[in-house]
Amino acid sequence: MAIMMPAPDQSVLARRDQIVAALRAIVAGEGVIDTSAEMVPYESDGLMSYRQPPMVVVLPDTTEQVSQVLKYCFEQGIKVVPRGSGTSLSGGALPLADAVLLGLGKFKRIREIDFDNRVVVTEPGVTNLAISEAVAHAGYYYAPDPSSQIACSIGGNVAENSGGVHCLKYGMTTNNVLGCEIVLITGEIIRVGGKSAEASGYDLMGIITGSEGLLGVITEVTVRILQKPETARAVMVGFAQVEAAGECVARIIGAGIIPGGMEMMDKPAIHAAEAFVHAGYPLDVEALLIIELDGPGVEVDELIRRVEAIAKGCGSTTVQISASEAERNLFWAGRKAAFPAVGRISPDYLCMDGTIPRGKLPEALARIRDLSAKYDLRVANVFHAGDGNLHPLILFDANKTDEMQRAEAFGADILRVCVELGGVLTGEHGVGIEKRDLMPEMFSDIDLNQQQRLKCAFDAQGLLNPGKVFPTLHRCAELGRMHVHAGKLAFPELPRF
Amino acid sequence: MLASWPFLNSRGFEQQGVDTLKVRDAKDVEDAVQAAIASEQPLEIIGNGSKRLIGQPMATNALLDLSSLNAVTSYEPNELIITVQAGAPVADVQSLIDSRNQQFAFEPIDTAPLLGTANQATIGGMIGAGLAGPRRIKAGGARDHLLGAHGVSGFGDSFKAGGRVVKNVTGYDLCKLLAGSWGTLAVITEVTLKVMPRPESERTLVLRGLDAARANRTMTAALGSPFDVSGAAHVPGSVFHVAATELGDLGSPGEAVTLLRLEGILASVVHRAAALGKLLAPFGVAQVLEDAASAAVWSSVRDVVPFAAIGALGAWPVWRIVCPPASGGALGERLARDSGGEVIYDWGGGLIWAALPPRPDAQVALVRQRVNAVGGHATLVRGSDELRRNVDVFHPQPAGLAALSERVRQSFDPKNILNRGRMSRNSAT
Repeated sequence: MAIMMPAPDQSVLARRDQIVAALRAIVAGEGVIDTSAEMVPYESDGLMSYRQPPMVVVLPDTTEQVSQVLKYCFEQGIKVVPRGSGTSLSGGALPLADAVLLGLGKFKRIREIDFDNRVVVTEPGVTNLAISEAVAHAGYYYAPDPSSQIACSIGGNVAENSGGVHCLKYGMTTNNVLGCEIVLITGEIIRVGGKSAEASGYDLMGIITGSEGLLGVITEVTVRILQKPETARAVMVGFAQVEAAGECVARIIGAGIIPGGMEMMDKPAIHAAEAFVHAGYPLDVEALLIIELDGPGVEVDELIRRVEAIAKGCGSTTVQISASEAERNLFWAGRKAAFPAVGRISPDYLCMDGTIPRGKLPEALARIRDLSAKYDLRVANVFHAGDGNLHPLILFDANKTDEMQRAEAFGADILRVCVELGGVLTGEHGVGIEKRDLMPEMFSDIDLNQQQRLKCAFDAQGLLNPGKVFPTLHRCAELGRMHVHAGKLAFPELPRF
Repeated sequence: MLASWPFLNSRGFEQQGVDTLKVRDAKDVEDAVQAAIASEQPLEIIGNGSKRLIGQPMATNALLDLSSLNAVTSYEPNELIITVQAGAPVADVQSLIDSRNQQFAFEPIDTAPLLGTANQATIGGMIGAGLAGPRRIKAGGARDHLLGAHGVSGFGDSFKAGGRVVKNVTGYDLCKLLAGSWGTLAVITEVTLKVMPRPESERTLVLRGLDAARANRTMTAALGSPFDVSGAAHVPGSVFHVAATELGDLGSPGEAVTLLRLEGILASVVHRAAALGKLLAPFGVAQVLEDAASAAVWSSVRDVVPFAAIGALGAWPVWRIVCPPASGGALGERLARDSGGEVIYDWGGGLIWAALPPRPDAQVALVRQRVNAVGGHATLVRGSDELRRNVDVFHPQPAGLAALSERVRQSFDPKNILNRGRMSRNSAT
């Protein structure tokens, strides 16, 4: 492993039997797992190249139990790693050898569906898709749709601020959650927000969303639901040059059109996907755009006309418009299966997740191509082009000497390019352990200290999910110290109140 | 040294013994905050002062004036972003993006009519207050459109939050905290905001004569339809009688009006206006306002013009109540009846503006009790200095949440230098 985790606390490991017994006193029966064989499924998340058996797994099924487990760990100085469905692609739920792995898998109940207020109140272990399914009979759905939506939990979505294909128009998780119940490491249960459009005071829901399990354990979430658009149609446009596809994306947005989704694939991704799902993708193009327009039929028809005209103006070589729901789904099938499709043509792959300004797409692709040659590794690119979110898939074989190290170095260079082009390290997968050590590429020490001081407001001992997100662990006392700017004060005689 | 700094003497902020530090750049802000820390002198952060009358009166006699930090750093219409310094006037920035057919989709409120201040709101104040207009139900609030920020914390350090792209989960989302923090966490010096295409056309359906409960159900039906309603408001008839007010191009209708807005390309809004009218037929026959007439009405609703400071209710304290939308009708109706006040509903019932007859306590106990019962919160947005000294302007929170919020505040400003006491009477010292 290239990424170092904090050294295990031997004094905690020495007390393991005692800790297991204490957890069993809180969560009876099968809710505490402590044999190596049974803990295997919890050793890694979606970032599967990193594995670590936890000290013990606990699966509470009430908020009260979560509170008691956390209070016990807080009092005993034991680290805790929260976990939802374990689909994180950045290692956010990677266990620590000396930590309790706290799984929320038993929180499987939707607590309330409130159509009048257009919200669903749910336990965190409910899957993203299950929320949409629970309200589909009334024409509603939950908008954020990460590719893993069949498996990923809503609690995990909040922790990671998950996105998806449709977040260009409908926002990420943070734009679609209204409130939560969160248990702090002390065991204290706090309710933030609710069914109102905004909460009182500071926007703590906003800071909890995307905090990657470092601030608290979410035990209930209130999400907004939306009515499904009347219709949706997709346009598939092929281009002989990537630059032309990038220009087309910019012109569509520039024309004031915000599609429901706007995805781009490059040639290797198109070929892999077509071989896998036979979606009818053109194989002789360098880039393919899938643009989905949704809304009333008259609106979709008009916007498709505009998009088609823009595409032709950008020199598209093929334009196909879905004529039926089946055809629309077929267009998407290849894109949605892009990751497994790439998995078929390579023993292993790393999925990266940077964001760049839309206008830099061609430049980013050219830079990635150069890096591919430098590292001698193939890459297939799928993008959420509408919002500049790149998912380069780096192909490698972990059984070959140093290929994984090369792939990780290649990935890190791609993310550095993203930052250099005015973008960010991660658009939707989170920092986790994967991008942790790259944080200084984007943030100064001062920026990171401010973020870590915020962590201290929630978890002063640093017991929740340590080793994730921040490259350096600091003690809260050290972060809170006010340094003296003596000798260079601009207003030494500022009056005292 | 202080004397070498440009002072501001013409805009009416000056009081005896108050120093105004007019900063020229972000470095000046750092210097000023560091000096304030060293002398334990709290600072009131100010742009043009348009929202100075909102919040608990502050414990300070030094103003940090950001109005000179007013440049547009960059505007990239095709990227849907604008980066602008905190002191830039909102109106100027809005006309700039309007020239490219773009807008701030969260429809920031202009508080000038309500507060009776002539000063132009600045971008920093717009974000610090985070007051979104009618389109919040569809497009989100200020917090949803703030992509990045530069600021100076109460440690006297310049830091950045977020980035300059729409999709970003790198580190904690500090932008969400800064929006709506009323300058109590950091002095924001520059922000990057998402801009969105301005709709090509709009229609408003007007239903007349509904009572609050029925209007609430009408708005719920509209917002539960697939027709993408971008505004849902209700103005009771009594507002027009008591306040003798005008509501944009609707004039003074004399009876209650329920307003539902649709925006988008022409063919779409025409189709949706017809379909929504049909859906709402059981609630009444809808009149349709087009484009400019529609926009005029929503501008009045957004800025709460019926309760304007120069109007008949200008002396009444005004509460801003946010609640679960389906409870708004019953809450507002009873509150108006029991307080003798007037209310206006926005956000489909999820936002209630309540003007209550003047009393020394602004009927705070009644308001908070009713609002708590439905899980909402109430902020006193208009009230005299004395009134704002005597009541909790912002909604008191349960102890655990309040303590956590205070720890969050301290993580940015442990010496309580920035806008000390503006959001809570408990943190005034």
